Amino acid sequence: MSSKLHPSNNITHARRTVNQLRIEASIERIKVSKASADLMNYCTENARNDPLLTGIPASDNPFKEKKPCTIL
Amino acid sequence: MACQGLQKGETLESLKRESETLKKKLEEERNKLNDVELHQVAEKVEVLSALSIKTRRVLKGHGNKVLCMDWCKDKRRMVSSSQDGKVIVWDAFTLNKEHGVPLPCTWVLACAYAPLRSLCLIMNGYLGLDNKCSVIPLSLDKNENLAAKKKSVAMHTNYVSGCSFTNSDMQLLTSSGDGTCALWDVESGQLLQSFHGHTADVLSLDLAPSETGNTFVSGGCDMKANVWDMRSGQNIQSFESHESDINCVKYYPSGDAFASASDDATCRFYDLRADREVAVYQKDSIIFGASTCDFSLSGRLLFAGYNDYTINVWDVLKGTRATILFGHENRVSRVRVSPDGTALGSASWDSTLRVSWSFSTGSNYIFRFIKLLFWVNSRLVLEFTVAF
Repeated sequence: MSSKLHPSNNITHARRTVNQLRIEASIERIKVSKASADLMNYCTENARNDPLLTGIPASDNPFKEKKPCTIL
Repeated sequence: MACQGLQKGETLESLKRESETLKKKLEEERNKLNDVELHQVAEKVEVLSALSIKTRRVLKGHGNKVLCMDWCKDKRRMVSSSQDGKVIVWDAFTLNKEHGVPLPCTWVLACAYAPLRSLCLIMNGYLGLDNKCSVIPLSLDKNENLAAKKKSVAMHTNYVSGCSFTNSDMQLLTSSGDGTCALWDVESGQLLQSFHGHTADVLSLDLAPSETGNTFVSGGCDMKANVWDMRSGQNIQSFESHESDINCVKYYPSGDAFASASDDATCRFYDLRADREVAVYQKDSIIFGASTCDFSLSGRLLFAGYNDYTINVWDVLKGTRATILFGHENRVSRVRVSPDGTALGSASWDSTLRVSWSFSTGSNYIFRFIKLLFWVNSRLVLEFTVAF
């Protein structure tokens, strides 16, 4: 926090807040139902390519150490 | 000093009144569109099958708290920074340490891997003297003295809390305890843009995924998460629903939403197009702050590291906890999903890093079957030996 309280700073700060709120209040918004549906669609479309969700087959696992296999 | 000029008819009181009116209007506009909750819409989605994500590798080598880690874009290297003053580059496949970069100060708070082979470090001197962000070009030559090649890029008036390269690798975005974020040119170290709006320390930032344009989100001790336009420096959206410091912010993979992790023991999910919080991830049993979070590749899972040493894995859509990862023996300072989504890296104050991933259930059955075969075989051998 850099600014100390000062009469002129209060006005500047207040005006900045008002300008900021004007910008935020005027943006275009969509309904939560639509936004949620889109989020859901993104998840389901990409679910099969998500290795943490589906798991990786052991043969493809790049982190696995390659141990020699011994047959009894 | 003369008072800053007032516009005609404007007083401090009238500005404050207008500010209150606008805040109410903002609230009303947002609520008008809140026709349903995310988890209600998500009832249509299948419940997650039991996740088999487990910690399978432990990386030891740091002598003190690991404060930060990041993955390299080549998907196999990880970089970590620790309070022991070292930055280590690990090969996550072989667990070998590729580079160890000792640094002159102990407060290396964060590190990030650039898309094209250089490394960014934040170094804050013990007495706050450094407050710099430096870039080190990483080479594969182990004999090169990397610490000598570091170049100071960013400078704030208080500690630097987070850094991220932009997609081109030529610009660096930083967040700071001085309440601002800043965009720097890596080559010249010049300040390109600064972002003012937070009223307390900024603790974290995240760049929007490349397809969605030049914005980033930041979160801080003023409990606010702000979305910024990188070119104009303008704060375009602001979210204030957390009840304590926001420690980490992370974009959802599509770029339309982001999550935050906070000292209020919750993680929250905000949709940018609906301009509101759409989910809170919390449980009565979780009372410790969340310090870090990251999404899985599809965005269905949110991994969050907590000060109670656990990593909770949340079902982003349904709002429930999918699983919990134990293992760290102190606070989890950072979780990051690898760039190809196969693994989760986590860093902790217990001085280790851990890598966790999930095997598909098919593989589990094959493993068990093979184990069974060996067991049967060994039993048969025993029977024959006894018989003879």
